[in-house]
Amino acid sequence: MANARALDKRRKSIRNIKKITRTMELIATARFKKAMDRATSASDYTKRITSVVADLARAGLEVSHPLLEAPEETKSATLLVLTGNRGLCGGYNGNAIRLGAKTFEALSSEIGNVSLEVSGKRGISGFNFRDMAVAESFTNFDDQPLYAEVEMIANRYLRAYAEGTLDRLDVTYTKFISVAKQEIVNETLLPLGKIEGAEVVDDDSEASGKTSLYEFVPSAESILEEVVPTSFKIKLFKCFLDAAVSEQVARMVAMKSATENANDMIKMLSRTYNRARQSQITGEIMEVIGGVEALEG
Amino acid sequence: MAQIQLVIVTPEKTTLDQMVDAVTLTLFDGEAGFLPGHAPMIGRLGPGELRARVGSEESRYYVEGGNVQVENNVVSVLTGQSMDVAEIDLAAAKAALEAAEAESASSPALAEMKQKAIAQAQAKIRIASKA
Repeated sequence: MANARALDKRRKSIRNIKKITRTMELIATARFKKAMDRATSASDYTKRITSVVADLARAGLEVSHPLLEAPEETKSATLLVLTGNRGLCGGYNGNAIRLGAKTFEALSSEIGNVSLEVSGKRGISGFNFRDMAVAESFTNFDDQPLYAEVEMIANRYLRAYAEGTLDRLDVTYTKFISVAKQEIVNETLLPLGKIEGAEVVDDDSEASGKTSLYEFVPSAESILEEVVPTSFKIKLFKCFLDAAVSEQVARMVAMKSATENANDMIKMLSRTYNRARQSQITGEIMEVIGGVEALEG
Repeated sequence: MAQIQLVIVTPEKTTLDQMVDAVTLTLFDGEAGFLPGHAPMIGRLGPGELRARVGSEESRYYVEGGNVQVENNVVSVLTGQSMDVAEIDLAAAKAALEAAEAESASSPALAEMKQKAIAQAQAKIRIASKA
């Protein structure tokens, strides 16, 4: 039977680990709430932009912009993989890296000139481990990505797209669907394809009746020129927000199961410890009785 | 007295949602004022100042561009960045201006981007030093 004192020591250390994982769970919960709030307030902007685009489309404007159409030839592409800066969040980072690597290979065989960009320390070390060259890396995005920082990256992509050195941009990230469901996805952000709201064209007479209601200053085309790059930036920002929220959810779940595991382990160790202590006491009593009997005899 | 609702939205949050007496903001070609009951319009904003008047008090904000949509007595300003004039970091704005001026402008699209960055930095400096 195991030594009772060694068992007690192990039980204590597991109790300490449990305290840590429990705290980490609480922190992740608080961070998740904050990140979630930000994601919700960002959707307000998206909603309004969509309504502007819908109004433009309703005014009979044909929605077209260089960002919306694919260049004639796709010569170079960029893949951006969003991972976390920290681990201890279950399969979150691993899954993103795995899909990122797969997409990168697929893109490379299709296009040839693909550069890989990674956000998050975990992703950077993950790709280094796989011997894949990371062209650009960011570690400044945590649970609350700033729009100004995302905008800087977005502007760089827009500039490269305008110069013709970038023809396609893909982003691999963890999409937040609900607290119970997050999905690793790969999305093509450039060319933008279409923007939301643009396809709401005169399907009912009431909508087309509104046509003349708005005055466009200076013109609908000019406003579209402003809206299209903005909606690209918003889309990219949304990816970062989703990734941040998903990371916190993943950490919450991982730490919760770690705490539960620690509980089970403590229960088991306690049982073994009690048994060991009991048998030790029994052994001692037997010795005492034996000694007394020897004296009497 | 009739009032008009002013909403300033950035991708991060709704910066301001308030009933005001009058709004003055900078369109792409100059300032425009909005009073309660303004006709529906969508306009392109330039970098500049937004003034909201309630009674005799006026609050001033910096808006970096974007769009404004006026509808049903609501002025919604959609912009990438907006801040109270008092929060403008003058030194940072000057640094941004210098950085923008150093950018290359080898193609029309690039030149446009450069122009925009310069205009934004200049507007920031102008508004901040006016206060």
